[in-house]
Amino acid sequence: MAVQIKLMSSDQAMLVVDKEVAERSVLIKNMLDDIGEVDEAIPIPNVNEAVLKKVIEWCEHHKGDSPSTNDEESDSRKRSTDIEEWDQKFMQVDQEMLFEIILAANYLDIKPLLDVGCKTVANMIKGKSPEEIRKTFNIQNDFTAEEEEQIRRENEWAEDR
Amino acid sequence: LAEILNMCDSQLLSFVLNYVSPRLKKDPFKSLPNELCLRVLSFIDDPKTLARASQVSKQWHSLLSDDLTWKKLCEKHSYYRRLSGTTAMHAAAATANHDAFLYGSTTPRESSYSSNSFTSEISPQYRIDKVRRPKATSYKSHFKQRYMVETAWRTGGKIIAKHITPDQGVVTSLHLTPDYIVIALDNAKIHVFDADGQVLKTLTGHVMGVWAIVPWGNTLVSGGCDRDVRVWDMETGECKTVLRGHTSTVRCLKMSDKKTAISGSRDTTLRIWDIEKGVCKNVLVGHQASVRCLEIHGDLVVSGSYDTTARIWSIKDGTCLRTLSGHFSQIYAIAFDGEHIATGSLDTSVRVWKPHTGECVAVLQGHTSLVGQLQMRGDKLVTGGSDGSVRVWSIGGKVCMHRLAAHDNSVTSLQFDETRIVSGGSDGRVKVWDLKTGLLIRELSQPAEAVWRVAFEDEKAVILAMRGSRTIMEVFSFSPPPESLNEG
Repeated sequence: MAVQIKLMSSDQAMLVVDKEVAERSVLIKNMLDDIGEVDEAIPIPNVNEAVLKKVIEWCEHHKGDSPSTNDEESDSRKRSTDIEEWDQKFMQVDQEMLFEIILAANYLDIKPLLDVGCKTVANMIKGKSPEEIRKTFNIQNDFTAEEEEQIRRENEWAEDR
Repeated sequence: LAEILNMCDSQLLSFVLNYVSPRLKKDPFKSLPNELCLRVLSFIDDPKTLARASQVSKQWHSLLSDDLTWKKLCEKHSYYRRLSGTTAMHAAAATANHDAFLYGSTTPRESSYSSNSFTSEISPQYRIDKVRRPKATSYKSHFKQRYMVETAWRTGGKIIAKHITPDQGVVTSLHLTPDYIVIALDNAKIHVFDADGQVLKTLTGHVMGVWAIVPWGNTLVSGGCDRDVRVWDMETGECKTVLRGHTSTVRCLKMSDKKTAISGSRDTTLRIWDIEKGVCKNVLVGHQASVRCLEIHGDLVVSGSYDTTARIWSIKDGTCLRTLSGHFSQIYAIAFDGEHIATGSLDTSVRVWKPHTGECVAVLQGHTSLVGQLQMRGDKLVTGGSDGSVRVWSIGGKVCMHRLAAHDNSVTSLQFDETRIVSGGSDGRVKVWDLKTGLLIRELSQPAEAVWRVAFEDEKAVILAMRGSRTIMEVFSFSPPPESLNEG
């Protein structure tokens, strides 16, 4: 039977997971390496239950993945559009949750999940006009008409290919 | 709540939707710390999206001004050039008539892209146009410049100079330097233009066709059918020295430093000249037939001959170190970067040799006729020949990566850099190709009767062709208009 460990979310919910799954998080892995066997629940003060559950769900699915390379320039990281199907479905959550997952992945140091999250946001931005981006994220346009015109002209060079 | 919604009709539901959905939306860049916002942006490799995103709001604009994003984009688009002087020197070992790179790296005024404001990994990359252009002070503006140039290469560019000469001479050589465009013709003339293509001087003195020229700063060394090697000052147009010794046509010329020129001749010898003292320092004897091409790296000169061999010589000692045998027919083209020697032959093959052992490490087959054009750069070798095709090879892999059906007739001229190949053919076409994909990007200029020579730099291409039985020169510029580079 796999070794299990307990995690305590910020809202005091206890979650039990396989050690192997939890160790997708470099933060937790390092912690476990440092303190060895623990019965106590490991507090995850920055992540609430709902988000932590999502993160664990991701780690469960990806527990068999080969360890991620630290090579920042590796090809898979460069190409933003390719997100595997399961991950795409996994990321079909409301924006609040999406950003929470990104923050949690960053805090827990789960690089592949962080990248999937960031890619998902990047894909929401890609190919859109400024107004469409504003609509997508409900952003107020806080430029004056003059500023807007000036910035538009500054960026004209990118439009004519 | 579900019960209430169940009672709503579609009109009410769409009201609820419109009311609720904005509340489910959130500005990611307000929710995430900057570091993560930039990570998100690092996944966007499309400048258009980035440029548009910067118009969303003030916060987005300031995030999009962060140079890290643009630095990454520069890297993704490979918008850096000439990572160091040495690689540029390697790149110089090119086809006989193309050494614009060499001048890019050896002339001190070649500005090295204000490297002090950047981390060294990206360092000198971009030749800023001497006076006219404001220096790129950020990766964003650097990216913008490069992007505009690339766009112009794909779809734009304008002819900034055009010359029609009355003479019908065949253009034998074309060289671009930071200051000059120099051409030599088989009618004994050498024409010098400034870098923008304005006529400066005509160098007269040779009495028959000029077959080889090599520029070095303001100096030009030339040779041809009259067997003389002449040294010129391109600024004044004056012939400073006439070097005599060859007993037949001078076919190829290179310089190893500012006072040393090496010539190869149909008389089967190579001669090493001190052009300042005006003396012949050494005669390299060994080839059994005409010396057709030569290339220099460090103290070594390699020569390709109609005797089917190539020879490696020491410049300092004037001795032959090795003879490279293997080709079945005349050698027409040679490239040498210190690591490898590549030779192109009438036997239709290209051979790659190790200079220090003389070992032939690859025989690249595929061309169906004479291989007369050849350039090597890093691991890539690009060859062209009388079969009209251009091939891109991996030297390490010893494989042909792309075969371009380039011209209906011979490939007369060929040059490539890290992004593109430009080829000219006796079918009168000039074609620009994507080096990585091997796909045709565009044709440059109107079709002519024949293209003699093409050469290009980052933002310029020069075509010499025959049109209406006249020799014409066209200078294309891909530089962005200066006013477009003044802001952000």
